Amino acid sequence: MIGECRRLDAALEAGDAAAIETVRAHAQECVRCGERLRAFDEIAAAAPHLKKSWESPELWPRIRESLVKESFAASAAPVEHERSPRIAPTWPAWIPIAAIATLFVVSFVGLQVFRPALGDRQIFGVRSFPKDALMTDAALQDVEKSEREYVRSIENLARVAEPRLSAADTPLLLSYREKLLLLDSAIAELSGQIEQNRYNTHLRRQLLGIYAEKQQTLREVMKGATS
Amino acid sequence: MKSIARNLLGNAADAEDAVQEAFLKIYRNAATFRGGAAFSTWIYRVVVNACYDALRRRKTRPAGPSLETEDGRELALPARTPSDHLLRLALEKSVARLAPKHRAVFLLFEVEGFTHGEIARILWIPEGTSKTFLFDAKKKLQRWLATRPGTRRTVSP
Repeated sequence: MIGECRRLDAALEAGDAAAIETVRAHAQECVRCGERLRAFDEIAAAAPHLKKSWESPELWPRIRESLVKESFAASAAPVEHERSPRIAPTWPAWIPIAAIATLFVVSFVGLQVFRPALGDRQIFGVRSFPKDALMTDAALQDVEKSEREYVRSIENLARVAEPRLSAADTPLLLSYREKLLLLDSAIAELSGQIEQNRYNTHLRRQLLGIYAEKQQTLREVMKGATS
Repeated sequence: MKSIARNLLGNAADAEDAVQEAFLKIYRNAATFRGGAAFSTWIYRVVVNACYDALRRRKTRPAGPSLETEDGRELALPARTPSDHLLRLALEKSVARLAPKHRAVFLLFEVEGFTHGEIARILWIPEGTSKTFLFDAKKKLQRWLATRPGTRRTVSP
């Protein structure tokens, strides 16, 4: 192997097209380098045909199914925790009874002391907690109204980004499109679960988190369009 | 994504499993991703890692490309001449013989069209290593292709 041969190898390793051209004349005279250059060119020309494409009608439903299972597993996890076997108490049986009795006495005394602050509200059939301590229907309507406006703004952004995503022609845009499909699927699943339990704030927070991710992704898509 | 997984794992069924696993990882970690330009490299990194996990579980390298092209599932581009077709088949078999890292670099550069900088970020290797792996991979492919039947090449790398 002579210096020119080494130069060709170095140029091929660096992928330096200009350097390869400078040693092309040598490759026409040197059998080894000629073969190498021809082989590398042939490989580079044939390689793109290794890209495979095939229909996978079951793949996406399988992914959806796994996502749903995961999401249900996540929401069921606290329940499993509650049901997990507990260690049997080692203290005498009368201690919990005494604790409940003490709690009852303290609560009763407390109610007597703070009764004026509660006004006319009823508790245990006599006086009650203030109504706004829980998520009332009115508060829920407010939350749902705000969420609807937030979602509408994101869907508007999605409509603006739609032409760019439909004509996606780069790996980056294709990846964004796949990510958005994934997020939409998660949104549909969570929305379905929320329909079953509109007062579940944990699910609502999860849904808003996914919407925030969608908004961020759409912004990235649009940023790419304007840059 | 299915294509790189298919070429790394050697068959469509394993490739779909790897893509499914990758999608679940992407879904779980989507909220942690930041930085637009690196998103595609991040996605590919997850897919390639899922393939490596599958290879580790399998403990053996793929014996070679499966003959799925005959079952009508694949929509490969038509070859212009029979020799093109033979070269592609031989190349596919030879690529399957490469070590996983060399195979990954070759596929990402020559098939998927990534730059060495992007490959470095996908595989977490230095850019120079990516170039060296590609060169080594091509030298091996040259040697293996030269020994295929009907080839007159006698040059050793």
